[in-house]
Amino acid sequence: MSKSTNRIKTIAKKEVVEFVRDWRTIVAIIIIPILMFPVLFIVFPILLESEAAELDSMNVSIEIQYNEYPEDFVSLFNQSTTILTMVNTTFTDSLSEPMGDLDRVRNMELDAILRLNYSSDVWFYSIIHLSTSESSNEAKSRIINSLILFEDNITANRISEGGLDVNSTLNPLRWDGDSSAADVATEGEQAGLILSLFIPLVLAIWTFSSAIQPSIDMTAGERERGTLEALLGLPCTRNELLMGKWLGVATITSVGVLLQIFGLLFAIGYLASSDFIGVPDLSLEAILLIVISIMLFAVMVVALELALAMRSHSVKEAGSILGPAIILIIFPALFTQVINLDGIESFWFSIPVINILLALRELLLDRVIVEHVFIWMLTSILYATLAAYYAARQFKREDIVTTLS
Amino acid sequence: MSEQNVLLKISNVRKNFAEVVALDGVSFEINSGEVVGLVGSNGAGKTTLLRLMSGVYQPSSGSVTLGNDTPVHLMRDNLGVVPESTGLYSRLTAWENIRYHSRLYGIDDTIAWKRTLKFAQSLDMEENLSRYTKGFSRGMRQKTALLRALAHGPKVLLLDEPTAGLDITSARTVRALVEQIKQEGGTVVYSTHQLFEAQQVCDRIIIIHNGVVKADGSPDELIQQNNCSTLEEAYVELTQEKARIRFEDSNKESGITKLWNRLFRPKTPHYAGEKELIESE
Repeated sequence: MSKSTNRIKTIAKKEVVEFVRDWRTIVAIIIIPILMFPVLFIVFPILLESEAAELDSMNVSIEIQYNEYPEDFVSLFNQSTTILTMVNTTFTDSLSEPMGDLDRVRNMELDAILRLNYSSDVWFYSIIHLSTSESSNEAKSRIINSLILFEDNITANRISEGGLDVNSTLNPLRWDGDSSAADVATEGEQAGLILSLFIPLVLAIWTFSSAIQPSIDMTAGERERGTLEALLGLPCTRNELLMGKWLGVATITSVGVLLQIFGLLFAIGYLASSDFIGVPDLSLEAILLIVISIMLFAVMVVALELALAMRSHSVKEAGSILGPAIILIIFPALFTQVINLDGIESFWFSIPVINILLALRELLLDRVIVEHVFIWMLTSILYATLAAYYAARQFKREDIVTTLS
Repeated sequence: MSEQNVLLKISNVRKNFAEVVALDGVSFEINSGEVVGLVGSNGAGKTTLLRLMSGVYQPSSGSVTLGNDTPVHLMRDNLGVVPESTGLYSRLTAWENIRYHSRLYGIDDTIAWKRTLKFAQSLDMEENLSRYTKGFSRGMRQKTALLRALAHGPKVLLLDEPTAGLDITSARTVRALVEQIKQEGGTVVYSTHQLFEAQQVCDRIIIIHNGVVKADGSPDELIQQNNCSTLEEAYVELTQEKARIRFEDSNKESGITKLWNRLFRPKTPHYAGEKELIESE
């Protein structure tokens, strides 16, 4: 191994060791990436389900004000969890005006009030509720569900009374058979489509965001702590220093991204077992190109972040530049999601950030289009080289040694 | 002194930071086995000169060469540098800090360890080598930085205010180490603004003021040349010129930064009647 390679390796190793010894880093690059997607896709739905079950079992009190007793409607409520109070009345004003009922609902004396006014064969209704109260919203939701059934029954009865067949009148157009069987895309392709909607987004944002902290720590941080001056007096060249630090940041970021993908695949595996999503069909060349595209993206992003952080005079300044700079990734990433891949113009594959994200989307669909691959690879190499050149220029600046402290 | 003994040669060095001249026409030679003190007030140019000697800065004109007229930045293996800030990594142990640098010098761990142990005994640091430097006192940090600079066996040791902020005992230990290096034939450049220390440690003192070498000689020579009874008197005699202020990198500010500074940088306050007051004084 040459002296230069040894130095780069030594710098990278030290950076990783020093970074990993900070417990906050362990949380940021190991715990959070592993847990993020399982929590989002597994724990969160479970929590939502349990919340929904809790709401279902919640007792709500509803007052029904009517001018004509809606007998069929009342029987539609689950009487065990819904306390109904029936009040016969006459209506003179608009049903939606709370009037005297305002305080009763606001003070939670009642969760909701349904007003039903039967006039000229039509049931006019309104629901007086408090939208900021969960129990009131639940009461409203139960009322609406019952009203929908009530309306269906009335419609069916009227069609029947008119001498028509209810089913053919209400559903004159129907899909025949299993609709999913008519989709000629394989399960793997469908899975690829779903994954292509969020994996590029996650990869791009996470690569950028997880590189921020180590980039700042290894440049502006070193400068502020005064360790950079001692390092610059050593026989290693500035390029070796840059490459060593780049390797350190890239290693830390890769671990973070890999762990996040691991968490994502685990969550998908869990969901796949419940027939929500399958495993995408990817050819070997698509997988290889995915890896290359991510690497090129990482080279560009990490070099750019190191350069910007090195250019900054302090950790604070670096943070205030690199933090908002994530917008440069988020906006293109979101924009890329809405670009139609069918018949897409080739120039899209030459725009920075967008080119890699589009490439990932195509590759996850197992579409290896030579022209697109050529363009995104060439432009990505160009952007990565430019970013590395810019970083090298920043590292060669004489004033990087000056510490503000 | 014969030409063969010249180890470090500073020839007509000028160093500019934007429009400010930090060093102007500095020339001197450092011979093998010498302990040379760079003495000057804060901002005199000592640190800039040391950074030029260590190859961190490049001279605007002139040259800094080592040995056989090779530019110093190509011969950094021969230098051991202790910057004022010590530059230790707090999440590494003292030995890991030393090993990191010695590996970058291309020195085998075993050799670096042996050298470290040798000097660690002199500095009473053996027990602390496996400790993280995070909790180290200023003195311990300075000693670790010294061990780190010595681990690869440099020909020249460059020390930037090595006793600044140290307690009396630690400062004595550091000075004793410099003496030990001198006894072993080592060459040391010792930057300080403490005259008594320079007098005690150094064979030769170079007084720098406003980026210019004002005097170069042994403590006795400096006293005699200026017809003074003490080195302090000689120093005062030589540095009467008012110290100038250096604004580093001012021309590297972008337009936005300049505008920002113009709008928000604190300005010197002016009060009613101050002009008359100054004039009357």
